Amino acid sequence: MSDEIVKVDRLFKKYGKRAEWAVEDVSFDVKAGEIVGLLGHNGAGKSTTLRCLEGMLPFDRGNISICGRDIVRDPIGAKSQMGFVTDDHAVFVKMTGVQYLDFICDVYKVPVGVRKERYRELESVFALGDSVRDLIASYSHGMRQKICMMGSLVHRPKLWVLDEPMTGLDPRTMRAVRELMTDYAKSGNGILFSSHALDTVAKLCDRVVLIRKGKQVSDLNVREIAASDPDFDFEEYYLSNES
Amino acid sequence: MKAESRKVLGALLRKQFCESAASFAKGNFNVVGFAVRTLLIVALIAIFVVFFGDFADVYLAVTTDGEPAPLTRAFELMTMVYAAIMALTVIGAMTALERELFSSEDVRIFSALPIGANTIFAAKAIVIYARQTLVCTVCVLTANITVAAHASVEWYFWLVTALSCPLLPMLSVGIASVLALPIHALKVLLKDRFAATFVLITLVTAALLFAYAYLLRLVSSMLLGEDLRYFFNDAVMAKIAAVVAWLHPADLFAALLTGKDVLSSALVIAAVLVVCFALSLIFIKLILTRALKAQVSSGGVRHLTARAQRRALSPLAALIKKEFLLIFRTPDYMFSYFSVALVVPLLVYFCMSISSALVVRLIGISCDLELALFLSLLFGSLANVFCTTNISRDGMMFYSVKVMPLGYRSVVFSKVLLCLVVAVLSQLLTAILLCAAGGLDVLHALFVFAVASAFSFSQICFATRIDFDHAKFSSQPDGEIKEQSNTAALVVVVGMLTAFAVGGAVLASRMALSLRGLAQEYGFLTYLIGGALAVVAAAGGWIFLVFRLKERYYRFEGGVL
Repeated sequence: MSDEIVKVDRLFKKYGKRAEWAVEDVSFDVKAGEIVGLLGHNGAGKSTTLRCLEGMLPFDRGNISICGRDIVRDPIGAKSQMGFVTDDHAVFVKMTGVQYLDFICDVYKVPVGVRKERYRELESVFALGDSVRDLIASYSHGMRQKICMMGSLVHRPKLWVLDEPMTGLDPRTMRAVRELMTDYAKSGNGILFSSHALDTVAKLCDRVVLIRKGKQVSDLNVREIAASDPDFDFEEYYLSNES
Repeated sequence: MKAESRKVLGALLRKQFCESAASFAKGNFNVVGFAVRTLLIVALIAIFVVFFGDFADVYLAVTTDGEPAPLTRAFELMTMVYAAIMALTVIGAMTALERELFSSEDVRIFSALPIGANTIFAAKAIVIYARQTLVCTVCVLTANITVAAHASVEWYFWLVTALSCPLLPMLSVGIASVLALPIHALKVLLKDRFAATFVLITLVTAALLFAYAYLLRLVSSMLLGEDLRYFFNDAVMAKIAAVVAWLHPADLFAALLTGKDVLSSALVIAAVLVVCFALSLIFIKLILTRALKAQVSSGGVRHLTARAQRRALSPLAALIKKEFLLIFRTPDYMFSYFSVALVVPLLVYFCMSISSALVVRLIGISCDLELALFLSLLFGSLANVFCTTNISRDGMMFYSVKVMPLGYRSVVFSKVLLCLVVAVLSQLLTAILLCAAGGLDVLHALFVFAVASAFSFSQICFATRIDFDHAKFSSQPDGEIKEQSNTAALVVVVGMLTAFAVGGAVLASRMALSLRGLAQEYGFLTYLIGGALAVVAAAGGWIFLVFRLKERYYRFEGGVL
C-alpha cells in the first residue's frame, strides 16, 4: 500500500545465546496519519521491537520496511525516513543543544536555510529557552528528553518513533507533545510509540499493538471500538490481556 | 563505630567488591588482555630491577671526601626511592578519592540512603587504601629486594620493608584526602572552560617535559661523559644530600631501613600518621559535605556562546566535528589526544640526541636514520593509545548514531580519520624537528615520516577494530571512560614489539653491514625493509579493519545494551 509507512512482518529476535525469544512473531503496520501504540508489561519486548525497527539491533527473522525501504537491505534509505527518541535519552552530552541539533541536521542533510525556522518551531513546543546554548551535560532528565525530541523532529521524518516519550516531562510539555503528535500524524506522517501511560495511549492512538512475553497478543483499532462501544474500558482491556 | 554502622560498612564494601569482581566474571573476563597487562607489568619490573640494580651498585660505592660511606649512600638511595613511591601513591590516592567522592554515581545514590557520611568515606577509603597497598607493596618489594641484592642489609631492613607496605599508603591516603579538596575546587573552576583547561594541560605537560628533558640531559652527560662513578663528585653529592634532607617523611623510612635514628624516626612516623589521620578526618567532613551537595545539585551552568552553524557539513564532517567536541570537552581525552601527540616529537628528539652519540661512541658507526625510525615508531605507538577507545568512547550514543542514516564506513572511518590526523601531524613535527635539529637530511626525514605514519595508520586500524569487537561502554553518567582497557594494554604491547622488531631489523642490518664495510653498497636495505614492512603493516591494518565490518556493524550488539 502506498500510505503504509511501517510494515513489520513476522519479526523474531533473540539476544545472544538465550533459548527464549525476546520478540516472537510480531507483525503490524503503521499507515500515514496513524498513531500506533506499542503496549506491554516491563520486559515484554516493546523496546526490542522498536530497536529492531530503528536498525539499532539486528533481528533473526522477519522483515521490516520503512516507507517501502527494507531496513536490512537499504538501511540508510529506511533510516532517513525516521526520527527516533530512545527510552534512555542517549545524547551527546559534550555538545550544546544547538550543536546537537546542527549535528542532526547535517546527518539528515537539512538545508541551512530552513534550520532557523525549524528550531524556532520546535522551541515553541519544547521551550528550552537559553538552555539550548548550554552543554547537554548540564541538562536535567526532562531537558535531555526535550532535546532528544527536538532532534528527532528537526528533519521532519515520515515516521516518528518514540520509546516511553512522556517519562520525565512536565505536565505542560506533556500536553504540548500530545498535541504535536496529533498534528504531526494529521499532516500525513506515522507515529509509533511505546508507553505505560494508558490514558495517553487511549487519548492518542488509532491502534494499539499489545505484546506479552515477546508475543503479539492483539492489534486493536481502539478508535473503531470506542466508536462502536461507548462502554469500552481500555484500561480494563489492557490489564486483562497484559499478563 | 556502632554495630549498625559496621553492618552498613560491610554492605558497602561487599557492593564495591562485587563491582570489582564483575570484570573477572565468566563471559566478562578478557584472558588475553589480562595476560598482556600482567606481562607488561612484569616486563617493566624486570627492566627496573636490571637498571636500578646497576645504578645501586655504582651509587653505593660513591665516596665523599675520599671516604666510602655505604650507610649514608643507602640512606640517600632509600629516601629517594620512598619519596618516589610516596609521590606515586599520593597522586594515585588523590585522583581516586576525588573521582570516588565527586564524580562517582553511587555517592548520589548513597546520599539518598540512610548512610552516614563517615561510613561512606570509610568504605571508599578502605577500597582506595587496599588498592594503594597493592601498588605500594609491589613497588617497595621490587626496590628493596633489588637494593638488598646489591648491599648488605640487617634484619630490621626486612622488618621495616614489611611494615612500610601498609604504612606508606596510610600516609598517602591521609595526604591525598587533604589535597583532594583544592584539586576538586580547581576542577570546578575549570568546568566548561575548555580553552583554559587545554592551556593548563599543555603547561603541565610542558613542565613535565622540561623535567624529562633535564633528566635525559643528566643521563646523557652520565652516559657520554666520564664514568658514572666520577659523575657523583663532591659537589653533586652535596646537592643530593641537601635534596634528601627535604624529602619528609620518606627520609624517616629510609632512616629506619638503615638503622639510623631508629627511635626518633619511629616516633615521628607515628606522629605523622596520627596527624594525617586527624587531618583527613577533618577534611573528609568538609569534602563529603561538599561532595554530597555537589552530587545532588546539578551545580552552576556556564552559558556557552555556541550558535547555529552558518553552513551545512557533510555527514562525515559532522561526525568528525562531533568526535572533536567530545575530545576537546573531556579533559582526560584532551590530554591523551593532543598533549601526548605533541610530546612525541620532543621525546623522539631528546632520545635521538642521546642514542645517536651513544651508538657512535659504542660501535663507531652512525645509524641516525635507523635510530630515528625506531624511536618514531616506539613513541608513536605509545601516543596512539587513544584510538583503543574509538568505539567505546561513544557509549550508548553509538547506538543512536547507528539509528541515523549513516553508512558504517562514515561512522567508523570518521574515528580512524580523527586519530590519523593527530598521529600524522605528530610524525610530521617529529620529522621536521629531526631534520631541523636532529641531523637527518630531508629525504631521510621524509622516509621516517612516511614509514611512521603508515605504522600509525595500521595501529589505529587494528585498535579501532579490536575495540569495535570488544566494545565496553562506560557506566559513568557522562559516558567518559575512566579505566584503561585490555585493548589499550594489548595495542601498546603489540605497538612496542613492532617498533622493536622493525627498528631492530633496520638497526641490525645497518650495523652488520657497516661492520663488514658494506654500508654504502647495501644502504638501500633500510629503505627496503622499512618501506616494505610499512606497506605490509598499513595494508594489514586496513584489511583487519574492514574485514566483514559491514556485517559486524549492522549486527553490533556490544557495549552494555
